[in-house]
Amino acid sequence: MKLDTSGFETSMPTIGFGSSNDMLDGFSTVPSFDLPRTTDFDGFQKEAVQMVKPARGTTTLAFIFKEGVMVAADSRASMGGYISSQSVKKIIEINPYMLGTMAGGAADCQFWHRNLGIKCRLHELANKRRISVSGASKLLANMLYSYRGMGLSVGTMIAGWDETGPGLYYVDNEGGRLKGDRFSVGSGSPYAYGVLDSGYKFDMSVEEASELARRSIYHATFRDGASGGVASVYHVGPNGWKKLSGDDVGELHYHYYPVPPAIAEQVMEEAAAE
Amino acid sequence: MSIFEYNGSAVVAMVGKNCFAIASDRRLGVQLQTIATDFKRISKIHDRLFIGLSGLATDVQTLYQRLVFRHKLYQLREERDMKPETFASLVSAILYEKRFGPYLCQPVIAGLGEDDKPFICTMDSIGAKELAKDFVVSGTASESLYGACEAMYKPDMEAEELFETISQALLSSVDRDCLSGWGGHVYVVTPNEIKERILKGRMD
Repeated sequence: MKLDTSGFETSMPTIGFGSSNDMLDGFSTVPSFDLPRTTDFDGFQKEAVQMVKPARGTTTLAFIFKEGVMVAADSRASMGGYISSQSVKKIIEINPYMLGTMAGGAADCQFWHRNLGIKCRLHELANKRRISVSGASKLLANMLYSYRGMGLSVGTMIAGWDETGPGLYYVDNEGGRLKGDRFSVGSGSPYAYGVLDSGYKFDMSVEEASELARRSIYHATFRDGASGGVASVYHVGPNGWKKLSGDDVGELHYHYYPVPPAIAEQVMEEAAAE
Repeated sequence: MSIFEYNGSAVVAMVGKNCFAIASDRRLGVQLQTIATDFKRISKIHDRLFIGLSGLATDVQTLYQRLVFRHKLYQLREERDMKPETFASLVSAILYEKRFGPYLCQPVIAGLGEDDKPFICTMDSIGAKELAKDFVVSGTASESLYGACEAMYKPDMEAEELFETISQALLSSVDRDCLSGWGGHVYVVTPNEIKERILKGRMD
């Protein structure tokens, strides 16, 4: 995808006194473009980008273990304080053996993941073999890098299984791409990391790993206001990905911390005795 | 996010047949992080008068302490409890005293006046009183609360039905707000008794 550089080809604006052109000779090829007329130019630019850039209110995580990659996310979309949806699909199925997670702007993530899916399929058709996770994440990172500074908000993890085994990469809108074993992205990530890091072992079974992932998302939704809804857990194995569970976090709380019924009755009796 | 949304809150009061209900959420947060899930926003002034305060948590606590102090002085001087209408005027005056450096909270006052007639009112942070005959709301979830109460409210409900209505209105509204929720606290007050109940809500 080529960057649109037509903005650089405008002619240099004339300065008030036209005669002293000898000063400007060396500068005749300086690129310039239309600037907005505003008193605070630096602040205006920042404000415009910040307005479009939504805060990454979400919790997503992924980790590699003995049996593959475990990917989990919440399902809340928030606009400032308002919850716009409790049922957003944040784990995007790029193709049957690769998953991407969504954090940041929903539109940005959905579009670029679909675009990545298209590129991966074209690669398969052109080369008669599947693209590696490393290659797919590099394609996405390069696409995002060319839009750097334009206010895209994408914090995604690409998880998959290829010939070299399980792969996990973190890619963001700044163009950063990191390979790793454990990642969590979003406003709830500190809470998820706390639970994930303390419970992580490489030698876990699929059940243990999915319970760890579910618990980490649950704890993040409890503490973080911008995460909530449904905790979805996916497993990527040698035969592709499979959705393991989608538990409503409101019910998970009472599953992990059941309310002993006796206390409620006590409260009612005490209040009635007043 | 504005300073009123720093801690997050939701308070609602409803009028029934010779009774009233006042309910709040239980979350205390610092912007998006939840610190506590048992924060008390509704306090008793006397057996027939309750005040719920939404907004900045530190002002909620300080304003409540000031109001209890003023009410106790009144009790000593007049040898009786304050009427809800009088108390509302007192709160309004105290808030306006700080007109140029206000307490950053919005009170909801609910009480039983003479002849057990229920009284509710709400105020903005500088003391503008808004009396209502049916329900009043306040807090970060106030817009959702207005919608839910408008849809669910019926006049002249008995205490049990009023409890159900106010609980459903509160829980469904805070489920649309990132900054409030994590349980509910409901007081239903009739001339004979005060029933305090904790609601099991979504903890996300």
